[in-house]
Amino acid sequence: MLRKEFSFLLVLSFVFLMVGCSSTSQSSSGGKDSDGKVTVTLWYWNRSLDDNLLAKAKEQFPNINLVAQKIDGNSYETKVDAALAAGGSGAPDIVGMNGAARYIPHADQFVNLLDLGASDIKNQYLDWKWNYAVTPDNKKLIALPIDIGPTALFYREDIFKKAGLPTDPAEVSAQLTTWEDYIEAGEKVKAATGVKMFDSINRVFTQYLGQSDSVYFDKSEKFIGDGGNVKKAWDIAWKVNEKGLSANLVDGTEWNASMNNGEIASFIGAVWMKKVLEDAAPDTAGKWRIARAPGGDGNHGGSFLGIPKSSKHPKEAYKVISWLMNPKNQLQSYKTMDLFPSTPSVYSDPIMSSKEEFFGNQNTTEIFSQAAKNVKPLYFGANYDTVNSLFSDQLTNVANQNLDSEKAWNDVQKQVEKKLSR
Amino acid sequence: MNATNTQEVTNNVQYMKPVGKGSLWRKVYKNRALYLFISPFYILFLIFGLFPIFFSLYLSFHKWSGLGKMEFVGLKQFTYLLTDTTFWQSVGNTFAIWFLSTIPMLFGALVIAFLLNTPLLKFKGFYRTAFFVTNVTSIVAVTIIFKSIFGNHFGLLNYVFTMIGLNPVEWLNSGILIKVVIASMVIWRWTGYNAIIYLAGLQSIPNTLYEAAKIDGANLVQMFFHITIPLLRPIILFTVLMTTIGSMQLFTEPQVLLGNSGGVGGAGVTITMYMYKQAFVDNQYGYASAVSWVLFGIIALFSLLNWKIVQKTGAK
Amino acid sequence: MNGKFSRLKNIALHFLLLIGVFISIFPFYWLIVMSTNKTSDILKFPPKLIFGNEFFTNINNVLQNVDFFKSFLNTLFVSTTSAVAILFFCSLAGFTFAKFQFPGKKILFTLLLITMMIPSQLSFVPSYIMISKMGWVNTFPALIIPGLANAFGIFWMKQYSEEAIHDSLLDAGRLDGCNHFRLYWNIGLPILRPAFAFLGIFSFISVWNDYLWPLVVLNDPAKYTLQVTLSQLNGIYNTDYGLVMAGTLLATLPLIIIFMFVSRQFISGIAAGAIKD
Repeated sequence: MLRKEFSFLLVLSFVFLMVGCSSTSQSSSGGKDSDGKVTVTLWYWNRSLDDNLLAKAKEQFPNINLVAQKIDGNSYETKVDAALAAGGSGAPDIVGMNGAARYIPHADQFVNLLDLGASDIKNQYLDWKWNYAVTPDNKKLIALPIDIGPTALFYREDIFKKAGLPTDPAEVSAQLTTWEDYIEAGEKVKAATGVKMFDSINRVFTQYLGQSDSVYFDKSEKFIGDGGNVKKAWDIAWKVNEKGLSANLVDGTEWNASMNNGEIASFIGAVWMKKVLEDAAPDTAGKWRIARAPGGDGNHGGSFLGIPKSSKHPKEAYKVISWLMNPKNQLQSYKTMDLFPSTPSVYSDPIMSSKEEFFGNQNTTEIFSQAAKNVKPLYFGANYDTVNSLFSDQLTNVANQNLDSEKAWNDVQKQVEKKLSR
Repeated sequence: MNATNTQEVTNNVQYMKPVGKGSLWRKVYKNRALYLFISPFYILFLIFGLFPIFFSLYLSFHKWSGLGKMEFVGLKQFTYLLTDTTFWQSVGNTFAIWFLSTIPMLFGALVIAFLLNTPLLKFKGFYRTAFFVTNVTSIVAVTIIFKSIFGNHFGLLNYVFTMIGLNPVEWLNSGILIKVVIASMVIWRWTGYNAIIYLAGLQSIPNTLYEAAKIDGANLVQMFFHITIPLLRPIILFTVLMTTIGSMQLFTEPQVLLGNSGGVGGAGVTITMYMYKQAFVDNQYGYASAVSWVLFGIIALFSLLNWKIVQKTGAK
Repeated sequence: MNGKFSRLKNIALHFLLLIGVFISIFPFYWLIVMSTNKTSDILKFPPKLIFGNEFFTNINNVLQNVDFFKSFLNTLFVSTTSAVAILFFCSLAGFTFAKFQFPGKKILFTLLLITMMIPSQLSFVPSYIMISKMGWVNTFPALIIPGLANAFGIFWMKQYSEEAIHDSLLDAGRLDGCNHFRLYWNIGLPILRPAFAFLGIFSFISVWNDYLWPLVVLNDPAKYTLQVTLSQLNGIYNTDYGLVMAGTLLATLPLIIIFMFVSRQFISGIAAGAIKD
């Protein structure tokens, strides 16, 4: 009686098993491929590496089968985390990192590149950038630098002119040397034109810290964000808010529209903001200039390439990344993808410089490369992201609600203390 | 309807009789085909569902960053959770959004289904597709669009408001309005979906019932409340439970709309979003597991409550 | 007199429905508008609400940047297989729960309901660990098989069966000598057609649009599903909205077409009235 339904279920489960088995056999085996090549996989997200360069790398290494897999930038870390959490099965040989800080406490999960001869090429890279990927004991390097994000002041020449401020980049930098000068200029702009000098106080806070030599933690991972630079950055952000100089924007469509409508006179941003701004505000082309930032040079963003411990071909992987990131190729990536080189030797190359129409034919590379050489060394700490998001959330509250200065600061300190107590 | 109930009752009476071990096994053996029919779910669940559950239970007593070693911390994650104000805020947010979205959504869906079921209505196919389109589109794209509709300064809605002489509203700068925006996204996305469920359910209510009511002089509203709603009870129960479970786990809408911060003052952080942030931003997998177990408890209790309420109000 | 009144009512009915349709379709309309414009035009304020002429440029860019057709076929395979299997397993189990009595039924069904209440976001790290230990990383079964444990579908089929299938019909079937499976196959299935239509299209859509799990499980671009493929267009700092919306549109249109075909099944002309006494 039951035969029919039994056989039906049996056939169905058999089909599924077949599908399952046939595809498992394809999963990559550790050794060499049938054609004698070694397969090296690489994970990256859109625009973090130059696709043309990756194509060239395949020609460069005929014995390596380089498989580059482009992954959604928004969920990139979730995928990497899952692969690493599973003990590296399924993880690639080379992994792109948007910032090395969160992986530093887990340096033992990555191949120490110093063991593979990375110290020989150390002098090609900017020291501060290199050290972002070095463990506090200076013994391990977990990744090689890709690009950097040197910061500068983006400003509207026409609005500065109306407010009676200098318009030439060198003069702007000379007059706006400190954040206090910058705020003062902001008041002038507001009085003369009604335009806001700052887009958000979160940016003020972030960029102030990007210019500093220490943020939330010292090298022993002790929390120092209860004073020092963090408090200074907080006070500056508070002041900007109090004086009503911030347009209180969040990134995205609101930011884009405000920029395009000329409602913001300036912001401090990394070099990659050039492209973001050009996309967001095509109507303002030619009106923007770039100057060395008030408060000093800083960095915001920039990524790395590391090799997870689970890789079966770390030597080949290292060969690939050290080639991808050599000065000549970084220069090429700058030209095609705006990825600002972490190798200062190429800054003087004529390829780096050009007149940029969007910025009134200014050669902005000059500004950014000077800034790049001047960034202070900085230790982020393992809990940087956690603590930073608490501060940034609180600043959003400051901007939108009438908070008491002292209470807002004490609240966020309490939250940090609680989070770090876990 | 009554027939089913009486049958259940008689069956229950049957089970209450003292049965020996042997007769129970005989019954099981007699019904072996039925166990086979329902077995695939339980087998698959044992294989794919059980391990993750035990793993996260195990995790909730540990501290683990996702990489490296786990550290046993006993009940520490749970005691931390009790005093974690952000967590309790997220519980409040979740319930507020549930409240704002569920009732308009399910009622709207019932009305739409009822109207679409009107005999001789033209363009039925068009309407069905138009209402269901909201559920087909990828949620991320939808959120990008909602973001530009509800922008603080440059939103489409504010554009319309200023055109007709109203003051623009800063939608995403107010704790209450943030929840309204999220609820409106939920309503937009799921009303058509629930309407289709009800529409499918309405197919087994014979037209003769409506025709008889019409002859008795009943109007549309009366038919809706006295025929449609009572007869659809099993389906309504289904949607209430699914909506409750779904909105307690609301995640993508607020996350894409507001980012991981959850908007001004964390007004849009839902429980699941908070849990996700603990795991994938703060790398506190142990704590995130503890949160997920508490969330599970909340969902179970709240679903039970909803189930009882709907069953009571339905069965007059 | 009566005719006039009902025509008025008819107009009111359509008017009411059209308001709903407007609200429901407008965001989708805007999606299409965005996919026909350049990103810089999309970002302008006041926003552009009419079609631009960049549609083919955007579509072309999508097709050049990602392997659309390959991932379309992958997605079609995964979604269809999942939907068919879910329909079979869920209707059989749901029908059984609704219409038969057997020891342990209540407990088994409660267990099933409880599994739905387990928050899914967190389980994907352990699920991934398991899938990788099974060697299923980068395979389609990893996308299909775990999803077949579908409590939602069983619950739906049970509720629908309870409402729609009258016991007298089954009793008649039993008198004719049908076994359990026959009762399901000959009597249950025809009545359950609207329920099938809903569960089928819904399972199909949710697998089609599933994103995070396929992203984590699949590594080989030749196996990517549509959502994973299209997500490659996202950067971290900037998004080409025209491109992304064009991609979304390409991924959504097949679903709408399929829905239009299936949606006829929601109305079961014969079942209504004939089945219930």
